[in-house]
Amino acid sequence: MSTAYPIPSDVSPATVRNTASLLRIVALALISGAAIASLLSMNCACIGPLLVEKKILTVTIAILGSTSVGVNLLWSRATRVLAAKGFYEFWNWFDPTAWYPLGRVVGGTVYPGLMVTSGIIYNFLHALNLPVDIRNVCVLLAPGFSALTAWATYMFTKEMKDESAGLLAAAFIGIVPGYISRSVAGSYDNEAIAIFLLMFTFYCWIKALKQGSALFGTLAALFYFYMVAAWGGYAFITNMIPLHALALLLMGRFSSRLYVAYTSWYAIGTLASMQVPFVSFQPVSTSEHMGALGVFGLLQIVAFAQLVRTHVSSQQFQKLLYGAVVAIGVLGAFAFVFLTYKGKIAPWTGRFYSLWDTGYAKKYIPIIASVSEHQPTAWPSFFMDLQFLVFTFPAGVVLCFRELRDEHIFVILYSVVASYFAGVMVRLMLTLTPVVCVASAVALSTLLDTYIDPVEPVAEEDVDDAVSANGSSSATPPSQPASKKAKKAAAAPAKTALGDFVAATNSKGGPPRRKGIFGLDSRLVVLFNTLSMLVFFVFHCTWVTSNAYSSPSVVLASQNPDGSQHIIDDFREAYYWLRQNTPKDSVVMSWWDYGYQIAGMADRPTLVDNNTWNNTHIATVGKAMSSSEEVAYPILRKHDVDYVLVIFGGLIGYSGDDINKFLWMVRIAQGVWPDEIQEPNYFTPQGEYRIDDRASKTMKESLMYKMSYYRFNELFGGQQAVDRVRQQQVPKEGPTLDYLGLLLSSSPGTCAHNEAEILPILTDEAFTSENWIVRIYEVKKEDLLGRDLKSANQFAQGKKRKRSKPAPRRRAIVCKIYEDSRLWMNKTGHCFLLFVRIKSSTLSDLREFRSQEIPERSALSRSFPILRTPTAQDAKEERSIYIHTHPTSNAQRPLPSLSAKGHRPFLSSLRSEPINLPQAQVRPSIFLFSLFKCYHSLFVMTLFEIIQNIPNLDCSISSGGSQQSRTD
Amino acid sequence: MKAVFVAALLSLSSCFALSPQQQLSQLASAGNGIIKLNAETYDLLTSPKRNWSASIQFTALDARRKCSPCKDFNPSWNAVAKAWANAPANVRQEHFFATLDFDDASSVFQKLGLNSAPIVFNYPPTDGDRKPASGNTSPIKYDFSDGFEARPLAEFLSKFTPVPIPYKDPIDWAKFVTIAIGVLGSLLFLRFIAPIVQNRWSWAAATVVTILVMVGGYMFTRIRGVPYNGGNGNWIAGGYQNQFGQEVQVVAFIYGLLSFALLMLILVVPHQKSPQRQRLQVYLWTGVTMIVYSVLVSLFRVKNRGYPFKLFL
Repeated sequence: MSTAYPIPSDVSPATVRNTASLLRIVALALISGAAIASLLSMNCACIGPLLVEKKILTVTIAILGSTSVGVNLLWSRATRVLAAKGFYEFWNWFDPTAWYPLGRVVGGTVYPGLMVTSGIIYNFLHALNLPVDIRNVCVLLAPGFSALTAWATYMFTKEMKDESAGLLAAAFIGIVPGYISRSVAGSYDNEAIAIFLLMFTFYCWIKALKQGSALFGTLAALFYFYMVAAWGGYAFITNMIPLHALALLLMGRFSSRLYVAYTSWYAIGTLASMQVPFVSFQPVSTSEHMGALGVFGLLQIVAFAQLVRTHVSSQQFQKLLYGAVVAIGVLGAFAFVFLTYKGKIAPWTGRFYSLWDTGYAKKYIPIIASVSEHQPTAWPSFFMDLQFLVFTFPAGVVLCFRELRDEHIFVILYSVVASYFAGVMVRLMLTLTPVVCVASAVALSTLLDTYIDPVEPVAEEDVDDAVSANGSSSATPPSQPASKKAKKAAAAPAKTALGDFVAATNSKGGPPRRKGIFGLDSRLVVLFNTLSMLVFFVFHCTWVTSNAYSSPSVVLASQNPDGSQHIIDDFREAYYWLRQNTPKDSVVMSWWDYGYQIAGMADRPTLVDNNTWNNTHIATVGKAMSSSEEVAYPILRKHDVDYVLVIFGGLIGYSGDDINKFLWMVRIAQGVWPDEIQEPNYFTPQGEYRIDDRASKTMKESLMYKMSYYRFNELFGGQQAVDRVRQQQVPKEGPTLDYLGLLLSSSPGTCAHNEAEILPILTDEAFTSENWIVRIYEVKKEDLLGRDLKSANQFAQGKKRKRSKPAPRRRAIVCKIYEDSRLWMNKTGHCFLLFVRIKSSTLSDLREFRSQEIPERSALSRSFPILRTPTAQDAKEERSIYIHTHPTSNAQRPLPSLSAKGHRPFLSSLRSEPINLPQAQVRPSIFLFSLFKCYHSLFVMTLFEIIQNIPNLDCSISSGGSQQSRTD
Repeated sequence: MKAVFVAALLSLSSCFALSPQQQLSQLASAGNGIIKLNAETYDLLTSPKRNWSASIQFTALDARRKCSPCKDFNPSWNAVAKAWANAPANVRQEHFFATLDFDDASSVFQKLGLNSAPIVFNYPPTDGDRKPASGNTSPIKYDFSDGFEARPLAEFLSKFTPVPIPYKDPIDWAKFVTIAIGVLGSLLFLRFIAPIVQNRWSWAAATVVTILVMVGGYMFTRIRGVPYNGGNGNWIAGGYQNQFGQEVQVVAFIYGLLSFALLMLILVVPHQKSPQRQRLQVYLWTGVTMIVYSVLVSLFRVKNRGYPFKLFL
C-alpha cells in the first residue's frame, strides 16, 4: 500500500492506542486549564499592560475582588447569606432593601442553583480547612464551570463522531467569544453554570437514547433538575428533548431505547423540577411544558400500539389501531387547546411568547423588550461571537445528515432551533454556541481526518488492476469491508484516521482504497489553510475577549491623548459617596439597571433592581422619571425616596446613559398609565428625539431631562453647551429644579452661604461624579410652612409669589394604622396592600407597635425597619406598608393574623408568579402527585420490560395453538 | 350664486334647528360614518364645550401633495370609521370620526402647527360624564409605531370611545384559498412529492438554508423592519448593531459558499479517481475558501471599524 508520507512501521497497535489516549487526556486537561487561565487573564488584560502602576494594580484587584461581581451583586449577597446562615435561612431570606417598600423574598423568587453551588463549594473548602472567602468562590466559579463545560462538550461530541472531534469541540467552546462573555472571572451569573448543565444533560440524554439506559435517563433527569434550579432557560431542554423524541417518532424510529430513555427522563425530571419553589406547578400548568407532557403521552400510546400490533394478526385491526392512535392524538391536541382556552393551562409566559411572535414584546411587555439582551441579533454579532465557526457549522450539520443516526437528528434539530432563537434575542446566542462548536468540530475533524490520512488511494488507471488482483474484497463498496473487519478483529474504530493509521501500520498489504487524497501537496495546502483559520480564530477570540467582554461594566477605560490609559471610575466614586455620606436607611431611586449595583456597592435600599418581577413598580419609577416635577414629587415622597440617581453621559460621551434609555422608561410607564404618559409627547413635532432647543415641552419638563442637564451649561462658561452623546446643543437656559435639591426651607442655615446659586426646589443636586456620569439628587422634604416647594423656592429667591394652582397632591395609597394589628388586603391593580391597623398612632405608640405587636421573625417586622423613622408629621399622616402579593387572592380577605407561626403562609404568598392553588395545599398535593406519577411511570416501565419479553413466549403459545387446531 | 346662498341659509337654519351634536351626527351619517371637515365644521367638532369625543384624521389625499403614507393609511381609517357606524345607535352619537384634508382646510393645519400627514388626533370630551378624570382635555395623538393597519388603530381608539369599536378584521380570502389549494395540492401530489419529502438531502438543504438565513441576521430585519437597502447603491448599514435586508442575502451567500467549499473538500474531492483532477479541485476550493473568507473579514471590518485583523483583502 502506498502512503503519502512515511509512517513508522514498527509500532504495535496497542502502543498507538495508548499514546493516543494519553495525548487526548493531556489535551483535554490543557484545554480545561487554558479555559480557566484565559478567562482569568483576559479579565486582567484590559488593564493588564499597566499593571506596574500601583494605583492601577489596586484598581484591578478591587475590580476582580468586588466590583465586577457587580453584575450580580444581589446574588453574591444571596450566596453570602446562604454560606453564613445555612440553606433554610436563605430559603426564607427576605431582603427588605430591594424593591422598597415592598421588599423581596429572595429565596422564593430566584433560581437558587447558582447560590447553592457556590455555597456547597464554600462549605466543602472550609471542611478541608481551606479558609476561602465566599467572594473568591463567587469570582472563580464561572471559569471553573467553563472547564467543566469543555469536558461536557467533549463527551457530547464524542457521541456524535469520535474523540478527535470531541477535542476540537472542547477547544472551541473553551475560547469562543459567544461563551466566554458569560464565563470570565467575576461574571457571577446563572448562565455561568447553566451551559455546563445544558451540555451535560444533553450528553446524558444522547447516551440514554443510544443505550436505552434508564440509568443515563435518570442522570439526565438529575442534571435537568439542577438546570431548572439554576437558570430560567431550562425550558430550552424541556422542549428540545421532546422535540427530538417527536422527530424520531415521526421518522419511524420508535424503539424501546427511546421509550425507556424518554420516560425515565421525563418522569423523574419533571418531579424533581417541581421541587424548586420558583417553578412549583408550572410543569403541569403552563404551555411551555406541555410539549414534553404531550410527547410523553404519545410515546405511551405508540408503545401500546406497538405492543398490540405484535399480538394481533389481522390487517384490519391494525388499521383500526392506527386510526385509534391518530384519533387519540388529535383529541389530546384539542383538549390541550380547550384547556388553554378555558384558562386551566396558563398560556405562554411573555418572555417565551415573544420568541414566537416577535412583535408581541414591544407592544405588550415593553419591560422585556427594553432589555438590551433581548434585542434581535444582527449578523456582525454572530460573526463576532462565532467567527469562522459560523460557516463551518452548516457544513457540520450536512455531515450529520450523511450518517443520520438518532443523535445526529438531535444536533440538526438543536442547530435549527437555536439559530432561530439566537436571531431573535442576543442573549440566546449562548444556547447556540455549544451546538456551533459541536457541528464545526465534526466538520473540521472530518476534514482533518481525510487530509491527514497517509493512505493513498489507487489512481483511476490502476483501479482495474487492483480489482483483478484483489478479487472479491474490492468488488464490494470500499469502506464497508474494511470497517467491518477492523471492528471484529482489532476493535479499533476503523472509520477514523487513527483506525486507518492502525490499519496501515498493522497490515501493509490491505485492500487498496478508492477514496482518498493523492500526493503530499494537496494535503499540505488544505491542512495549512485549516490551521491558519484556527490560528486566526485564536487571535480573534483573544481580541474580542480582551476588548469587548472583559471590561467590567462599572469601570470604563479610555485613552489619553498620549496613548496611556485613563480609568473612568465614576460609578464607584458615586456609590461610595452614597455609602459614606447618606444615612443607612435612605432610599435611592434609579432606573432598574443600577438597582443591584446600588444595593451591592452603596448598600442602600432601592426602589427597583435588575430583576423584572414587578412591572408596576418599575413603571412607577418610569413615571416619576418621565413626568414633571409636580407630578413626580408625590410619587417620590410616597415611596420615601431620599435620593434620585441618574446616569448622564453627555459630558464625556458615554452612550449608555439614562437619556438614551429614557424612551423605554416612557414606554414602560405608558403601559401602566396610558392616560398620563404618552410616548409621542416626548418627540418633536417632526418626530425626532431631541434634547436641544427644539425638544418638546414634555421632554424638557420631565424629571429625567431636568436632572440630566441641570446646570450643565454652566460648565461651559457661557459657551454653547454640547451633549457629546446626542451631538446636540443644550439650550442656553438650563432646566431648573424645584422639588429636588438642597433643603431650602427646613435647613435655612446651610443654604445661606450659597444662596446665590440655589435655584432648585424639588430635588437638589447632592453629588455629581468627576465625569458627570453619575448625578445624585436629594429629594426635599415638604415645606414646613405648608407651602408647595415651588412657591417656597420662589420666595427664597425673592420672586413674587405667583397665584397658581397648588400642585396636585393626590392621596397616597395609604391607610391608618389602627389598633387591631390585623393585616388587610386591598386590591389596587396588581399590587396588594397590607394594612396594619392601629388606632392611636402617636409616635410613641408607633414605636411600641414596632417592638411588640409584630412577631419578631415575621416578614413584616423585617420590612418594618425600613420605614423611615417616624417624624412629627407621621403622627398626623397616614402610614402604610405595601407588600406585593400575587393577584389571585381575594380582595379584602383577612389573612391569618401574624402570629409567630403564621409567617410561613404569609411569606409564601409573596411569590411573584401567580399560582392557582392556595399555598397551604401545595406541598401535600405536590407530594401526592409526585407519588402517583412515580408509581405510574415505574409501573409502565416494568410493564414494558415484561412486554418486551412476551413475544417469544407468545409465539410459542400461538404456534402451539395453531398446531392444536390443525390436529383438531 | 343663488344655490350657494340657499345652501348657506339652509345650513344656517339647520344650525338653529339642531343641537351641534345632532348636526354632527347628521354629517356623519351622510358621509358613511366619517365627517368630511372644513375649517368651520372643524371648529364645531372641536368646540371647547363638547360632551362628545372625536377622532380626526389630518391627511392630504390630493395627488398633488404626493403623500403616499396618507393613501396607505386612509383605507384603514375608513374601515375603522365604518365599523363605528355599526355601533349601537345610542352611543354612536358620542364619538365622531372625521377627516380633514389639507386642501380643504389648510388654515387648521397652520393653526395646529402641523407640517406632516397623516396624523390622528383624539379629542376627549370636555363636558358630561365621559370627561377624563385627569381633567386633561388636550388632544391625544395616535402613534403610528404599529404601522398603518386598522386593527391597532381600532384598539387604540377604543380607549376613547364609549364602547369598544366593533371592528373585525376582514377575512383574508386570498390567503385562505392559497393555503387551502396548497394543502390540497400537496395531498394530491403526495405520491409525487413523497420522494422529495422522504429524501434526507432535501431536508438537509432546508435545514442549511434556514440556518444560513438566521445567522445572516434575518430575524433582525424582520423584527426591526429595516429597509432592503439604503438607496443609491448603499447596501451596508453603518454601525455594528444594524444591517439592511440585502446584507442578509450577501452574508448568507458568503457563509453558504464557504460551507460549500468545505463540504466539497470533505465529501467530493476524496472520491476523485484522477490525481490531476483531484489536485486541481483541492487548489480550487482552498483558493475559494481563502478569498471568500478574506472578503467576509473585510466586510466585517466595514461594520466594526475597530476590528484589527485582516486577511488578503
